[in-house]
Amino acid sequence: MTQNETRRNLARTLLLLGRLALAGIFLFAAYAKLKPQAALPWSGSSIKTSLSLFAMQVDSYQLLPPQLVSPAAHFLPPFELFLGLWLLSGVLLRYASLITTLLLAAFFAVMVRTYMAGLEINCGCFGPGERLGPLTLLRDGSLLALALAVTIGAFLQGRKRRTESAPVPPVSAPQRAD
Amino acid sequence: MANLAAGCCAANSRSPARILSRALPATAHGHTSGRFVVNISRYNVSSLVSDAQEVDLISRTNRHFDRRMALLAQWATAVLIACAVFAPAITAQATTPTAARSSAPAHKRVAADAAPGAPVKTIGNRNAPITMEVFSDYQCPSCGSFFENTLRAMIQDYVANGKVYLVHHDFPLQMHTYSGQAARWANAAAMIGQFQDVDAALFDNQAKWPVDGDIEKYVAGAISPANFKRIQAILKGCAAAPPTSKADRTVPQVDPSCPVDQYIVQDIVLGYQVPVQATPTFIIHYKGQSYPASSGIITWPILKQFFDTLLSQ
Repeated sequence: MTQNETRRNLARTLLLLGRLALAGIFLFAAYAKLKPQAALPWSGSSIKTSLSLFAMQVDSYQLLPPQLVSPAAHFLPPFELFLGLWLLSGVLLRYASLITTLLLAAFFAVMVRTYMAGLEINCGCFGPGERLGPLTLLRDGSLLALALAVTIGAFLQGRKRRTESAPVPPVSAPQRAD
Repeated sequence: MANLAAGCCAANSRSPARILSRALPATAHGHTSGRFVVNISRYNVSSLVSDAQEVDLISRTNRHFDRRMALLAQWATAVLIACAVFAPAITAQATTPTAARSSAPAHKRVAADAAPGAPVKTIGNRNAPITMEVFSDYQCPSCGSFFENTLRAMIQDYVANGKVYLVHHDFPLQMHTYSGQAARWANAAAMIGQFQDVDAALFDNQAKWPVDGDIEKYVAGAISPANFKRIQAILKGCAAAPPTSKADRTVPQVDPSCPVDQYIVQDIVLGYQVPVQATPTFIIHYKGQSYPASSGIITWPILKQFFDTLLSQ
């Protein structure tokens, strides 16, 4: 195995690990928000209650008007679930990782703004009960960096694949000058 | 296939092709078998697959196989890493026995321990389907805003209609100079059944009394002179600094000469158990289930939506 191949394999492995880590994090985040919050069994009603509880966490950020809080709270956990599954599948990874990065950047910006404003609220990142503080900011910042690295890796790999699979232009036969 | 397998044993000893060759009947390997020899020779003569092509095909098969195995190994490693990273978090979430997860409402546990004549810092019907416990600090601006914009509407609507039972817990923060003293006034008022009026007066005038600490003036304005005198009598011995919650979660000292301090300390200890990390923090109980504690200002429409979801269960 040449050094080039080793390097390529390492990059591929790192990309895979990064992608799977992001997928796992998003799936866990969705699970934590959708799971029954009290000792109730999984049901449509328990999911509805969990989403209503998550709506209170979204509301505590004091960012959205009340009429937008509930739609946002009902959209985010299923979207996180979808993103987690998309990242896990590896299909169109460039776009999946790009959307993940944009979403994490938005989350991070909102969290920084809330923290700077001095609001002492729950983060709501992985379900209820976690206070927004420097550690949560550090964690979400690291996740954003990971998502950015996976996005860059996915784009570079996609470009390399396109270059390799591009058809070699046919060499025209030298014309004989009579 | 037989040709490939026979060829593999000669040309390349590793690979899946060799595995295929093992699956062939024993006679296929017997070079003494005339029919087999004829077949081999026929292939050789006709040169359907040259040695070079055969080697190339096998090595390509091997490469595909190796790549697939490597990918499988990577996936397995990644899944193991993901499991190792997330399993503790999931297990912790599932098993952490916090006060918020316990099915018994915190206020009910306190009520069982409280001495007779303890202040009743509650609003509404005790048998309401929903119980909401709020840990609050009278000097904290967020608590003031939460009371004015959310709790007041809730008291007028869902508490008055018997849907919600509101329980107040004092959690005076050390950083606020007068919040402990305000908690004393509220507790003394609760001892004579005047909690709701004094509670509202303290929040309504939150911008005023912290300026000079003259809480008395606003309490006097909220209740009758007779009741005010009774409250003054209760607080007569309260000269020492009032109890406040500590950052290191130590239990504050109780002034034995101040009859309300023990109740404030009880609330603070209860807050440590939740744990209250900021004020306001509230816990909602419904049908024997406790929902995780929430902090910060929640608007009434969103809180009402949560109550409606619970009531529709």
